[in-house]
Amino acid sequence: MKNLNSLLAGIFLAVAFPFGVLVISSQVQLGSLGPAPAEEGGPLFPSREPGLAIQGRAVYVSLGCVSCHTQQVRPAGQGSDIARGYGVRASVARDYVQQKPVLLGERRIGPDLANYGARAKDLNAVHAAIRHDGQFAFLYAGAKQEAATERAIALAAYLQSLRQDYSSPEAKLKQ
Amino acid sequence: MTQENRSGRPQGRPPEGDSRLTRTEVQLRGPFLLFFISSVIWLLAASVLGVIAALQQGSLAGGPFRDCEILTYGHVAAAQHNLFVYGWGFNAFFALNLWLLSQLGRFELRNGWLATLGGAVWNLALTYGVVQIFAGNQTGFGLLEFPREVGPVLAVAFLLAGFWPIVAFARRPTGHSFASQWFVVAASFAFPLTYLLAQLLILWQPASGVVQTIAHSWFVSNLLLLWFGASALAAVYYFLPKVLGRTISGYYLAPVAFWSFVLFAGWTGPAALIGAPVPLWLQSVGVVAAAMLIIPVIITAINFHGMLSTEGGWSRAWNDTTLRFVSFGAVAFTLFGALNAVFAFRGYNAVVRFTSFAAGQEQLLTYAFATMVLFGAAYYVLPRLTGSRWPSAKLVHVHFWATALGVVASIVALLVGGWQEGKQLAVASIKLADVVRAGSSWNYVLSVSAVLLLIGHVAFALNAFGMILKSSAPASAGRHD
Repeated sequence: MKNLNSLLAGIFLAVAFPFGVLVISSQVQLGSLGPAPAEEGGPLFPSREPGLAIQGRAVYVSLGCVSCHTQQVRPAGQGSDIARGYGVRASVARDYVQQKPVLLGERRIGPDLANYGARAKDLNAVHAAIRHDGQFAFLYAGAKQEAATERAIALAAYLQSLRQDYSSPEAKLKQ
Repeated sequence: MTQENRSGRPQGRPPEGDSRLTRTEVQLRGPFLLFFISSVIWLLAASVLGVIAALQQGSLAGGPFRDCEILTYGHVAAAQHNLFVYGWGFNAFFALNLWLLSQLGRFELRNGWLATLGGAVWNLALTYGVVQIFAGNQTGFGLLEFPREVGPVLAVAFLLAGFWPIVAFARRPTGHSFASQWFVVAASFAFPLTYLLAQLLILWQPASGVVQTIAHSWFVSNLLLLWFGASALAAVYYFLPKVLGRTISGYYLAPVAFWSFVLFAGWTGPAALIGAPVPLWLQSVGVVAAAMLIIPVIITAINFHGMLSTEGGWSRAWNDTTLRFVSFGAVAFTLFGALNAVFAFRGYNAVVRFTSFAAGQEQLLTYAFATMVLFGAAYYVLPRLTGSRWPSAKLVHVHFWATALGVVASIVALLVGGWQEGKQLAVASIKLADVVRAGSSWNYVLSVSAVLLLIGHVAFALNAFGMILKSSAPASAGRHD
């Protein structure tokens, strides 16, 4: 403790060791995950994101939507996520391998969006949701703000692309 | 303790016989005032944004700022959070940590211009980052929202502005060292390391998938515990014995507190990811670490509250401005540690997950603990450095009561409101909109508390800036009034 070097060495280990174990070993464990079929020969999930959805994610990030919306469904027994209809199964790490950045979120002031694309009725419903009773009317043009701007169109495409309703090797859906 | 002890002084007075600065203090006065003044300006900006964010949260339609793109909640909340942490928390602790270790190590800062340069770069980068957030250019990761080009600049600025305490520790004349020094060295060394690694793995070379989230949780826990927590603990270890004029009870336990705090803090991150799509072993490590963190919390409670509980320590603390703030903070830290340990467990965590509860815990650590300690320290250090008195005792009272009531109200609203919200959310048949409506009364409390905090900060700023202006008047006229 009286020696600066041993103090700094201790602090360095206290920072580096958790980093190695928590972050690097999760990268080793999860880093090679990719889209995979639930059963041999089946379709690959998660599927590639449409280009418009990737643009929409940029809008989502830029507006700070992550302050109020999560994108993760907890397993049954932890909260009521599945019973509430946020998803049909718990989210697994593989669901996020295509997403850059990953927006799991920490706070639900609004509903969870992990599986929003599967439960949205149609495009009109998505745009109504984006408007938030007029709070986000600036995403719409026209006299009555009925025409979606490019950003709103991209955001809607992104929201519709959010689906976790497929079987994956770690989380099979019950038939 | 190597320092001579000093008994409690009346409020708002500079220490008697100390109107002339020591050589140590002459050297660091410039950088200290730069850090301090910028920290208070950022605190004011953050509290204005805090009021706006609280009003917005109170209504789904965005309150008075509906349909305003710049002031959408996602921008305001991110800017407020970053300004409070990087603007207030970092600048203020740059100042305090530098002063503290210079005092304890009899260190004369000869290259003060480097620290000043670091402070200037830090504040410029911060300004740029916040403007970018409002312009819609943010990253989506809490407390790393600034566009990625800001990160390296902030890291360099930190090395210039925040590394001096380590130099002061290395150059101290005696082999002896004191608890405050260990904690400040830990904070000054751990943060840049954490920040650079997190920047790298989250923004520059993003790790794949949810590993980004894991790295982010590690970053946030290190930032909150090892920067705010360790720096503020250092200040409490200094000011409580110094101003009370007694030795720390159970001081022989302090090394255990230090090492257990530093060792467990880095592992607590994944406790914020319970239920998330990350490996279960990771979540369990986080829970265990958060529970183990109770060890340093108990030891610091013995150290601090033991000292305050003998020979009327509490009433003396109440009657001294510095100690009133600092012991408020010490109590808050104990509460934080207890809550942190209990609510890491899966059963409780599942209830409060995704509610305002986590924000309440953070407010307990960064405001009720760290910020109140910083205020107390300012009441001690500023009169020494400026050589003048606090202009108004009334403003000191306004400051204490507004911030104390404001922070208690906001924490109660966030914690209790979060718990109620979580209990209702656990019942799937209660609609989200109904849950939000049921919690709206807590939003009024939050708005009122945000206004209270703003009032307190304005009072503090008026008093502090008044004092600094008076002292920089020609021939130090203020010194003899």
